[in-house]
Amino acid sequence: MINAISTLSVLALLFGLGLGYAAIRFKVKGNPLVDQIDAILPQTQCGQCDFPGCRPYAEAIANGEAEINQCPPGGQEGVDALADLLGVETLLLDEEHGETKPKRVAVVDEKVCIGCTLCIQACPVDAFVGSSKVMTQVIADECTGCDLCLPVCPVDCIDMIEIKPTIKTYVPTLKELVHA
Amino acid sequence: MPNINFKGGLKIENPYPSNEIDLIRIPLPEKVVLPMQQRIGNQAIPCVSIGEHVLTGQIIATIDDDRCAPVHASISGTVSAIGNHVYAHQSGLKGLCVTIESDGKDEWVDTSIGCTENYKACLPLTIYDKIRISGIVGMGGAGFPTHTKMRLAAGCKNIIINATECEPGITCDAALMEAYPTKVIRGVEVLLHITGSEKAIIAIEDDKQNSINELNKYCNNERIEIKVIPTKYTSGAEKILIKTLLGIEVPSGKFASDVGILCLNVATVVAMFDAVVENRPLISRAVTLAGSAIKEPKNLQVRLGATYDYLLSFVDLEEGSHKVTMAGLMMGVNLKGTDYSVSKNTNCIFIDKAQENVVAQECIRCGMCNTVCPVELLPQQLYWFSKSENIEKAMDYNLLDCIECGCCSYVCPSNIPLVNYYQFSKALYKKQTQEKTQIEKARERFEFREMRLERNKRERAELMEAKKIALKKKMAKDKAQKEKIDAALERVNASKIDNKEEDAS
Repeated sequence: MINAISTLSVLALLFGLGLGYAAIRFKVKGNPLVDQIDAILPQTQCGQCDFPGCRPYAEAIANGEAEINQCPPGGQEGVDALADLLGVETLLLDEEHGETKPKRVAVVDEKVCIGCTLCIQACPVDAFVGSSKVMTQVIADECTGCDLCLPVCPVDCIDMIEIKPTIKTYVPTLKELVHA
Repeated sequence: MPNINFKGGLKIENPYPSNEIDLIRIPLPEKVVLPMQQRIGNQAIPCVSIGEHVLTGQIIATIDDDRCAPVHASISGTVSAIGNHVYAHQSGLKGLCVTIESDGKDEWVDTSIGCTENYKACLPLTIYDKIRISGIVGMGGAGFPTHTKMRLAAGCKNIIINATECEPGITCDAALMEAYPTKVIRGVEVLLHITGSEKAIIAIEDDKQNSINELNKYCNNERIEIKVIPTKYTSGAEKILIKTLLGIEVPSGKFASDVGILCLNVATVVAMFDAVVENRPLISRAVTLAGSAIKEPKNLQVRLGATYDYLLSFVDLEEGSHKVTMAGLMMGVNLKGTDYSVSKNTNCIFIDKAQENVVAQECIRCGMCNTVCPVELLPQQLYWFSKSENIEKAMDYNLLDCIECGCCSYVCPSNIPLVNYYQFSKALYKKQTQEKTQIEKARERFEFREMRLERNKRERAELMEAKKIALKKKMAKDKAQKEKIDAALERVNASKIDNKEEDAS
């Protein structure tokens, strides 16, 4: 009787310690679901989903505070991928948040820019280079085409230019190739 | 001794046989259109302006990237346009080109400066630099800058000169070897001097007997070996050639330079000889003109940038609608019309009579593609994955090792354009990887910005807190000081009153 109780107590204690250690040692930092959702989002950081960036939106989806169809840059494909990940019915992209546009890049009109630096503060990915009263420039490679710099510009010197395929970036469609 | 053969591949008869493969020099074109975007690397940056007079061999565009080469004026004359012109590319897209109108004089830049015949007195680095500024790229079709290839292969043990001709029907390399056998041999000697490697092998297919004889006649260097290999399609692919000649297998995802081998096309070697010894940059090349609509195939030595229409005026072209192919029947691209110009890697232009399109049937799983694949992939599996756009799976089956030789499409009894499916998958893979890195970068930058804003806020708060405490301390100190002063004043006042009282009494 006493033997059985002591054996079980010792075992329970050992397992308890083991589990306790594992809980600390192998703790998953943050919510892995947020990371998975964030990986699908296009990282445009445009805020069209009503959240201040892709990660906040991912957190909102994970907490059930937002629908999966609020991301226009991700397009219908993005919505489908999110539905697939979360195991829910897919939805149609909510047009209230905007429509899917081809990828674009911001271009500053050098003659008009007054160097107010407002766009530098508005850019979510630090794609502007400039300083007070100096002409601002865009690092085209870093620009996500989010449009956030457009409303803050007091002289309206920023244009969003659609990125056209060049010989180097051209990707043929299967149809073009197979019927060539 | 390695086996002088390889698995797979095809024996294809020359579709356009001819007895004469002389290299014909044609008169200067009236205008040339020089493309700025070369096959890989960044676009070259034009350094001339419209209306400027340029000399033959003058640099008209510089580079900011090691994966492309500078562009030279191929005729003397006036720059008439710098603008978009359609490229000989499957997309039919336009790209930046510089157009030069000839003055008919062909005045050269000074070609006396450089190493000349006495190149052995020059440092290898000087010669290397000469090759770099002479705009030499791989002329077999790949268009990879030769100077970069040489830099990557620095210290290589073996040099292989690829004189196998890319594809059946192309004879420009053979014509070049017959016309300039000494240039080939001496070009290889220059290469041996620069790289310091022990041995160079010139690999020729056994159907080019005249070229073999010519080269043998002029080759008296024991470090150069002329090796005849059986004529079989894809023997000219770099990795396969290395395996055939040396028995070394270049691992997947690696290059010949990674195994200590420098492999150059024979036309590249001739261009290099011209650049180093004659101080002439790359401004012309040999082009094969052939096809079922051309009566007699011809090899022309043409200035770069000459238009296709100009070249075609030197052959007997049959009337009717044509199918235009650039760079070969197996691996080339079909073009719409002939409004293009010769670039550094245009080795042939085929004009065939237009035929009805063959309709592709369903795959019958015969497995013929598997047996001919020279890089021993599984074309049928890759076809299914590419068709369903399952890129990940196609990558698992080593799609990137596909050399797009087209053997699989050639033998397919259902006429499935297999290689086009692989091209599509590769392009899609490239695009997806690029997008992924861009997304990753945007995420990092966004997170860094958040972190920075957070940090700024915190630092500001800390600063305010510290200031507040300092102010409080100062105020407390001031208070103590004031009290001391007040006490002192009081004492003074008190003593003054005492003194008065004493005086009064």
